[in-house]
Amino acid sequence: MEGYVLALLALATLLPAICAAICYLIPNRAVRNVVVVANTLVLFFCAWEFVRLLLGSNGTLVVSESSLPSHLGEVIKILDVLLLGYIGYWGIKLKKPLIIVLTLLQLIPVIIFEFFMGVHEPTAAFVIDYLSLVLILLISIVGPIIAVFAMGYMEEHEHHLHLEKTKQPAFFMIVIGFLGAMNALVMTNNLSWMYFFWEVTTLCSFLLIKHDGNEISVNNAVRALWMNCTGGVAFIAAIIIIYMLKGTLSVAEISAAPIAGEFTGLFPVALGLLCFAGFTKSAQYPFQSWLLGAMVAPTPVSALLHSSTMVKAGVYLVVRISPAFLGTDLGYFVALSGAFTFLAASAVAISQSNAKRVLAYSTIANLGLIICCAGIGNYIALAAAMLLIIFHGVSKGLLFLCVGTIEQGIGSRNIEDMQGVMKIMPFTATIMVIGMISMLMPPFGVLITKWLAIEASMSMPVVLILIALGSACTVAFWSKWIGIVLTMSYKPKYNVEKIATSIKFSLGFLFAMVFVVCVGIAPMYSFLIDPQLQAFNFADKIQVVGSNGGIWLMSSGAAVGGFAVLSVFAIMFFLFIAAAYFMSKGKSADLRAPYLCGENVGSDIRGLEYTGPGEKPAGVVVRNYYLTGAFGEERLTLAFNLIAGALILLMIGVGI
Amino acid sequence: MIDNIIISIIAIVGAPIIGGLLFGMDRRITARLQNRFGPPILQPFYDVFKLFGKESIAVNQTQMLYVLAHLFFAIAALLMLVLKQDLLMLMFILAFSQIALIMGAMSVRSPYSKIGAQREIMQMLAYEPVLIFMAFGVYKVTGSFMIDGILTYPAPLLYSLPLIFFAFIYILTIKLRKSPFDFSTSHHGHQELIKGITTEFSGTQLALLELTDWYDLVILMGLIALFFAQPLWVGILIALAAYLLELVIDNICARVTWPLMVKATWVIGGGTALVNIIWLYVRA
Repeated sequence: MEGYVLALLALATLLPAICAAICYLIPNRAVRNVVVVANTLVLFFCAWEFVRLLLGSNGTLVVSESSLPSHLGEVIKILDVLLLGYIGYWGIKLKKPLIIVLTLLQLIPVIIFEFFMGVHEPTAAFVIDYLSLVLILLISIVGPIIAVFAMGYMEEHEHHLHLEKTKQPAFFMIVIGFLGAMNALVMTNNLSWMYFFWEVTTLCSFLLIKHDGNEISVNNAVRALWMNCTGGVAFIAAIIIIYMLKGTLSVAEISAAPIAGEFTGLFPVALGLLCFAGFTKSAQYPFQSWLLGAMVAPTPVSALLHSSTMVKAGVYLVVRISPAFLGTDLGYFVALSGAFTFLAASAVAISQSNAKRVLAYSTIANLGLIICCAGIGNYIALAAAMLLIIFHGVSKGLLFLCVGTIEQGIGSRNIEDMQGVMKIMPFTATIMVIGMISMLMPPFGVLITKWLAIEASMSMPVVLILIALGSACTVAFWSKWIGIVLTMSYKPKYNVEKIATSIKFSLGFLFAMVFVVCVGIAPMYSFLIDPQLQAFNFADKIQVVGSNGGIWLMSSGAAVGGFAVLSVFAIMFFLFIAAAYFMSKGKSADLRAPYLCGENVGSDIRGLEYTGPGEKPAGVVVRNYYLTGAFGEERLTLAFNLIAGALILLMIGVGI
Repeated sequence: MIDNIIISIIAIVGAPIIGGLLFGMDRRITARLQNRFGPPILQPFYDVFKLFGKESIAVNQTQMLYVLAHLFFAIAALLMLVLKQDLLMLMFILAFSQIALIMGAMSVRSPYSKIGAQREIMQMLAYEPVLIFMAFGVYKVTGSFMIDGILTYPAPLLYSLPLIFFAFIYILTIKLRKSPFDFSTSHHGHQELIKGITTEFSGTQLALLELTDWYDLVILMGLIALFFAQPLWVGILIALAAYLLELVIDNICARVTWPLMVKATWVIGGGTALVNIIWLYVRA
């Protein structure tokens, strides 16, 4: 049993690394495509096997240190030093003293700690529980699909850039290697190994963001690097403090709910530092700017960073250690910081007209909500956090791919330019609209988690206020955008889109995934999430139950809240049929031009022009409100950063 | 189960009748307030039947879809109310119904309809938080998010949630699109707005929108009645009184600008609701 788990584990982490090496060493397109597809299939297989094994186990799969190849620990230590050295090398090469300083601040403690302190490694090297499994599924299903998308996308992308020599081998190497590192990160039980994989993801994202190599992408990559390095410094500091206090690096032991009296000394500070590291990785205010800058990279990179890798590592860490600070002041400030980011990012998103920036702000907001839930830390909140990790990963991955495809199709990522995109790119636009609806409306999952989060925040009214205001803002920015995409005039001669098969396949696949996770929310919750929550052993009186095609909050046998998801999906299904019917039924004889005070020009049924001043035709301009006067980025960002910074200081300081 | 089906059918059939009559009374009372005689009470029904009979024209072939979504989700919200389901989720379903209408208005390339839709979004931005606060206040008192919990709670909610009740009455004006908050559409054609969000709907579509308004009105009245559910008839009387109050407010107010509305609603509506919630915490 343990041998098989170890083999699978090796497959899920090392195979991507090997595939990555092949992609780099054999710069041949056909070979690369085969490798990407093979990697996808094998990762799917791994994910499936992990589900099977874990459901058949008692809740955890453990690989003990003794069953691993000897000296693996030493190898990781040496790689860790080399990795930091490589980051430092980039700091020197790009002449960024800040990065050099931050690297040294990590390198010196790492060397002292790992080589001179005689660290006692935990006996359970890898522990896979349901929380890990949720992440593994996300990384091993959504991640490779994005790589498949990139096969078609990168051809087109490089075609636009007119490169002399293709940079795709390096690109695919990092993308696939990234997945292996993420898988390892969520499976390891050794905090110092997690730190190593943590730094690998930092480096991967740096390399991916600067992939196009122009000035702006290098600058943004540097910003991503130094912000994440501050997280790395906090991480290594936390490791050392925890080891000095507790004498263990086992994540399971650290995150086990502390017995009264153990939450003392510098331990809360160390947990606060780990949360801080999670905040930097998950681009929480005031570190949101690296994720916003990251979208200069090719679309698959954004999709990867936002959905299944990188930012999810941050929230994973916070959710992972959340039982340790359940009900403490630290938990309160974690919740407050997360909820504040949720509100701040949602509010600023209203003012954005760049589609990718809207998506980025929405990601930041949702990560904030996940962190907020981890901070609240009761049964409902953690159910919401784990569900949101899944729903957000799938939907946001899909949306980035859609925006990237549309950008290649219409040559713009401005929302205002997407008016009429339904006509030019019906396939992609339809998928994108449903993807956006899945971020916003019932019965789709993201809304359900928002609802759970609000119901979970009953113990923290301030958090409730922030979530309620943020929730209203999300309605505003999503519905504005959906409205633009859906705008159409008669008679749309639908184009047949010419997009690469790999793009079409990956869009279709993720689209199907959105429905699978949202329709199947009740069984998914019962099989994958509830067991984890049971294992956390809360004292809460309210439990979350997935049954009767919905999610219900039960308190001593009676429902105190709940929602029958499937019945609303039935209405949705009916509406889809109605949509097909009305689309086919529309006759041109029944159609009229929009009302322009009777000043329409000619018999144009689309109403593009009206008879303006001086009897001259003038174009009809319809635009969304962006409210930059109230919600503008320039206006709010500084204030939001200061508030968020203060909250983080309080979060760490409250433990002293 | 059978009981639930019967209740659902009664609600689906009965709600528009009540809603239509209330709208008829609205027009009558408004006319009297303006020194006019006003149409017969049944006038909304005549209007809707007439609209159903109109030839079907549209600006694009997808509008009907949004109208249906608007209607169906309003009915879904009504069913959640009469089947005593989760109050917070009911608010979200109601919001979905509203968003469907916004999508419908935005789906046509028409300036008036788009302006109406943008303003409707601003209205949602203003009142959504207050609705969430209301659901939360109810939870704080009854210990349940289910409407069932309100009906089985021994004392009327109004005693514990007076300020939330006030906040809800406040946003009722926005929800009903009455002056001073009637800027996404209004019952009278205005020069800069025409009919706003409903400008480009006609015939059957407009009839269904009217029908949805009736459902919405009944849901809102039902939510007000929940504040005094023991005995329920007092709650219903309070709801009717609140509606009367809205009519008076509608007739004595001039329209405000939307930034003022968002600010005023967050401060006055949200603020009073929060004071109420804080009081509940302090009292507990």
